[in-house]
Amino acid sequence: MRPRLPAPTRRPVPGQAPAASTTATRRHRPDYQLLVISCILLSIGLIVVYSISPGLAKLNGVSDNFYVSHQLITIALALLAFGVVAAIPYQRFASLYKPLGIAAALVTFVALIMPVNPAYPAHRWISLGSFSFQSVELVKFALLIYLAKFLSDRMQAGTIGDFKSTLKPIGIIVGLLGIVVAGIQSDLGSTGVILVMIGTMMFVAGLPMKKVLLFGGVIAIIASLAVVSTPYRRDRLATYLNPEADCQNAGYQACQALVAVGSGGMVGLGLGRSVQAYGYLPESQNDSIFAIYAEKFGFIGSVVLLGLFAAFFSRLKKIIERAPDNYSRLIVIGIAAWLAVQALINIGAMIGLLPLKGITLPLVSYGGTSVVFTMAAIGMVFNISRYTSYSTPRITADSKKEGRAHDHRANGGRLRGAYHPNSSGRYGA
Amino acid sequence: MLKTNTENAVAAIKRVRLWYVALFVVFGVFGARLFYLQVIRHSHYKAAALSGQLKQYEIPARRGVIYAQEGDKQVPIVLNQRLYTLYADPGYIKDADKVANQVASIIGGQASDYLDLIKMPDTRYSILKKKVTEDQQKKIAALDQPGLGTVEQDYRTYPQGTMAAQVLGFVNDEGQGTYGIEQFLNSDLTGTAGELKAVTDSRGVPLAANGDNIEKAPVNGKDIVLTIDVAMQQQLETILKQGVENAKSAAGSALIMDANTGAIKAMANYPTYDPANYGNVKDGAVFNNAAVSEPLEVGSVMKPLTAAAALDLGAVRANQTYADPARYKIDDHYVTNIEEDGGAGTRSVTDIVNYSLNTGATWLLMQMGGGQLNAKGREAWYDYMTEHYRFGHATGIEQGFEGEGYVPQPEDNGAGINLTYANTTFGQAMTATPLQMGAALSAAINGGTYYRPHLVAATIEADGKKTGTEPQVVKSNVVKSSVSTDLIKMMEITVRDHKFTPKFDQTRYSVGGKTGTAQIAKPDGGYYENDFNGTYTGFVGGDKPQYVIVVKIEKAKNGGYAGTAAAQPVFGSLAHMLINNFNVTPRQ
Repeated sequence: MRPRLPAPTRRPVPGQAPAASTTATRRHRPDYQLLVISCILLSIGLIVVYSISPGLAKLNGVSDNFYVSHQLITIALALLAFGVVAAIPYQRFASLYKPLGIAAALVTFVALIMPVNPAYPAHRWISLGSFSFQSVELVKFALLIYLAKFLSDRMQAGTIGDFKSTLKPIGIIVGLLGIVVAGIQSDLGSTGVILVMIGTMMFVAGLPMKKVLLFGGVIAIIASLAVVSTPYRRDRLATYLNPEADCQNAGYQACQALVAVGSGGMVGLGLGRSVQAYGYLPESQNDSIFAIYAEKFGFIGSVVLLGLFAAFFSRLKKIIERAPDNYSRLIVIGIAAWLAVQALINIGAMIGLLPLKGITLPLVSYGGTSVVFTMAAIGMVFNISRYTSYSTPRITADSKKEGRAHDHRANGGRLRGAYHPNSSGRYGA
Repeated sequence: MLKTNTENAVAAIKRVRLWYVALFVVFGVFGARLFYLQVIRHSHYKAAALSGQLKQYEIPARRGVIYAQEGDKQVPIVLNQRLYTLYADPGYIKDADKVANQVASIIGGQASDYLDLIKMPDTRYSILKKKVTEDQQKKIAALDQPGLGTVEQDYRTYPQGTMAAQVLGFVNDEGQGTYGIEQFLNSDLTGTAGELKAVTDSRGVPLAANGDNIEKAPVNGKDIVLTIDVAMQQQLETILKQGVENAKSAAGSALIMDANTGAIKAMANYPTYDPANYGNVKDGAVFNNAAVSEPLEVGSVMKPLTAAAALDLGAVRANQTYADPARYKIDDHYVTNIEEDGGAGTRSVTDIVNYSLNTGATWLLMQMGGGQLNAKGREAWYDYMTEHYRFGHATGIEQGFEGEGYVPQPEDNGAGINLTYANTTFGQAMTATPLQMGAALSAAINGGTYYRPHLVAATIEADGKKTGTEPQVVKSNVVKSSVSTDLIKMMEITVRDHKFTPKFDQTRYSVGGKTGTAQIAKPDGGYYENDFNGTYTGFVGGDKPQYVIVVKIEKAKNGGYAGTAAAQPVFGSLAHMLINNFNVTPRQ
């Protein structure tokens, strides 16, 4: 089952320092703001889950603290994952793509052969007692590391737009994902997240604009085919276009989400006064948690949450710009794309701007695998943030030296005041 | 083409910034959308939320119990039993097979009976079984299975089985009383449901967080005490059933009422049904209390009332005789008598009743008109039928679907009104229910007071306050009391001269009656050739009449005149039963 992927270039190409020696910038204090924002988001999720846990438990016939205790365990695991990953120098991850890839393939295989709950017939989870593991999360993680390495090597080689060495292997990966994740697991949401992640990484890696559009076009065609070919996706699309037409059946969740969000008003109903959580809005602790949050905390609370996400992504942006090398840059932008798309798809569905996809809100939603892998990814960013370059903005000078005046003007204008983007670049120059 | 890392990095950062612009634009759009939903459209969604969340519950009121008389005591004959309806909320049930097995093991049946119901899509309320007992309900609750629930529902139970089923009626699935007492007194029995207004979770469990929940306690339904005597009712039902079977008839009705109050002591029809399983009934006609709801041409049982009217008007004297021609030609039709009555001759008023002379009854109508069939006589008789004997008016008894009967207008309609009116004097061309006949006869023999026939002896309100029903006089001076005395004598003679086994001891008891063999109108005009309803009205008492009995046997097939062959034996048995078992006060 495991796709045969072309190995990223192992040997350093001329002009690039060996990966292990790229830490020209001294290891420094990591970006604690990033950690603080992440923990605030985790706490918000925990508070919402805590407040609806007893009512939800009664409704579903589990013990009162079932949801809170599960979420606490999850968060503990997530922080552990964060700690472990943050302690590993990010460069080491480049060499881990192979075991990670094998693990991802294995986990996916197990998920596919595991007997499934008839209520959720998709082969997406591996059950471990009362916890379950969503295989696609590991796939995302492995893919992220592999692609960062692969694409940064292609950037190095200048073959990012090359069909044979770059586009074809990625095409194979996309094809396999289409078959397994979108097809067999029927997980169009995760497929979308992965595609946007791949697309963003390729875009940032410098894929020529023509091919960016081509890639976008291909995805659009695949997406429309996926929607048209499956009745339940057609329903979802119809529901999305006009949710209030069918509030009782297909549009039920969409309608109830809008009702939850809308009834929150300016300041919300208050922490303990959610109503929609109790059986009206499905998945209220999980995929629909944003709507419950918005019901409790109103417009002000919603804007605060959006602001926290914006701040989170701004931190990532800073780290991307100051990343020590293109490899780490691609890792962080990949993570940013992954989490941003996931957040936007999730929130967008709750506010009636996007169709329902069954995707979690990063860090906030109840749900083990997603939180653990998100925190692991943030751990990696955290580690990278130790190596960001704070040297004086030499981008203009550097660029001039390389020639290509029309780029310099733009860069100089845009990046005025920015820090040197790539410390290893100086070695290469 | 090789690029330096710095060149790559600069290009990458450019694109990252482009990407971030797009990201923050989307964030901005989301913020705007949230403002639209949460601030601008807030009231719309608030209303939408409440319409789903704010539930108004009825707290059901307990339906009133129905009692009947047993000696000096009152015993319940309709009670409530609290049972449960077991339902599934399929969305909450993950392992349908397991749940189906558990359900089957508790309430019986095969797991496969429930599996489809448990998995039923697009519903949150799939009924698995009704009438689940409290024991079973507890076991279901002990499963603690999400998605299985029970709803309380009260069911009527009948300690006396089918007894008085048609008088009682039943309570349908919607909790509505249907037919009989249950229908007529539905609102009294139902009481007033309480109210609970609360914001609830989707399963309807009120959320404690909302302090502005409204609660109003229910007022339970009133209990009803019937005038029905359980023992008398049971015996009447047995005798009626026997009478219907002996007459090879398909159906019959009988009732016993208190001649001096209008209280119904027993009333039944055969065949009947089991109100606890009313759903099994195939022909809904059996729900009718025919004695109250099905008017019929009553036949010769009318003649005593015709005689009483003529006597009361002073048109004839009780001991008067007249020359009976054995037939009258009216409007080109003949009114004749049955062959056994022996042709023309001198007859008395008593003979008219005793020998059931149609010509005699017609002669009485002539006397009301001053000697001939005319408007004066018709109007006088119409007044007696409708205003004195109350035919054509519902009695107001506490029963659903009471029939009014029909009395033709006395005006000359150019279509043989005299013939029609001659017919009414012996109970044809007009209709009345057995109950109307009983009430009218009661008035004619009790000294002239028409009491509203009634089944309710008392009403007990939820707080225990008991209100007895006083006999209600609808019409006084129906006939003079002297006419009552004359009529009683005439009807006693009829009983004396007819064959009863055993005979009545008329020195001790006053027993009187009159048979009727009524032609049955075809729906499209004319009468059936060979089908007759046998009817009988009569009374039992001592110095004064105590009980009035009405019997109707439909389409009797046991030979002879239906009134004599089919209905009279039932009357005889009922009269003996009353004398033997129910303390008829003998003559002093």
